[in-house]
Amino acid sequence: MEPLIQAQGLTLRYGRKVAVDDVSFTIPKGRVVGLLGHNGAGKTTLMKALVGLLPSQGSLNVLGVDPARDRVALLERLAYIPDVAILPRWARVDELITLMSGLHPRFSADRARALIKRTSVSLADRVKSLSKGMVVQVHLALVAAIDAQVMILDEPTLGLDVLSRKAFYEMLIDEWCDGERSVLVSTHQVEEIESLLSDVIMLNEGKLVLSISLEEMDRRFVALSHDPAQAAAIAAAHPLLRYRVQGGSAALFDGPPPDSVQALGQRMRPSLVDLFVALTRAPEMNRTQG
Amino acid sequence: MQTWDHKLPIYQQLADQLAARLLDGDPAEGEALPSVRALASRYLINPLTVSRALQALGDEGLVETRRGLGIYVRPGARERLRSAERERFLNDEWPQLRARLRRLGIGPRQLNWEE
Repeated sequence: MEPLIQAQGLTLRYGRKVAVDDVSFTIPKGRVVGLLGHNGAGKTTLMKALVGLLPSQGSLNVLGVDPARDRVALLERLAYIPDVAILPRWARVDELITLMSGLHPRFSADRARALIKRTSVSLADRVKSLSKGMVVQVHLALVAAIDAQVMILDEPTLGLDVLSRKAFYEMLIDEWCDGERSVLVSTHQVEEIESLLSDVIMLNEGKLVLSISLEEMDRRFVALSHDPAQAAAIAAAHPLLRYRVQGGSAALFDGPPPDSVQALGQRMRPSLVDLFVALTRAPEMNRTQG
Repeated sequence: MQTWDHKLPIYQQLADQLAARLLDGDPAEGEALPSVRALASRYLINPLTVSRALQALGDEGLVETRRGLGIYVRPGARERLRSAERERFLNDEWPQLRARLRRLGIGPRQLNWEE
């Protein structure tokens, strides 16, 4: 099965500055992929390259084409909400639907109206009268009404309250994810989105530190909760990270630690946020971690 | 938004929650469960994870897939769940509870069964 997105040795630069450095990953169909990284890690740059907005070195294939070369063809089957997305404030929602109908050959106005119906927004509302959460929902409804195969969302829920974030992701799962299409979504709300994801890609200072399915992550990484009294013995087994959990301490290992160490604690599900912290900190901090 | 604890895999936690609902008769035996997508959207869980949870319930003989129709609660599922829960209580929870009652000096007479 041909993956929907395939990057091999992808490098992206702004002038002399390398923003994304020799990154390789694939995204097959039917996945919800989280793109995690601190500010400046290269998330937005990578997403821009995927939609053909930046020239790249290395090989990049999105839906069978090179995004920078065949951008127009690509955008027929790829939906994108950039981090700086805005809708014109003066426009009514039904005007936006008319506009999209004229702009995009695979946009369905009926579908957009059906999606808007899910929300508390009405077709006659003007963008300027809507809350931030509502605007983002309208945006998703417009983009999800495109019959596309890949959706790219750059921090779509930034600045939204918890109910708006929930409504956003409910619509995404309910109306977009059909087992064939894939989504790549970047966010800092790692804990909140973890259960939604099938895969995760982590960037640190432009470099890929992990690209893995969450199922594989559960198998590969081992988290042990343990009595603080065992801390020294646990530390001797070189965990990636030691942290506090409710009622004690915990340690995260890449691969199972020796049986003698496993016997000191209780195995837990490794959490994505702990793994992210462990893999994206400066190495010198890892060494002094106590 | 619902968060999931770190003790068990998410699919297992969802399977446990769905099983607890089945025990309460929601949905009743012979009736259909919500679709994978409806469950994914309700619990904000990836559809693949929902499928794994349903698979786990299927492996325990609680639900069955009817091709093209959906996933249905099997006859006898509640009794099955109840006896598994009973066993778990008697084997795991009761010894701990009994030990605690003894520590606190609470005997059968102090426990009100009628409320």
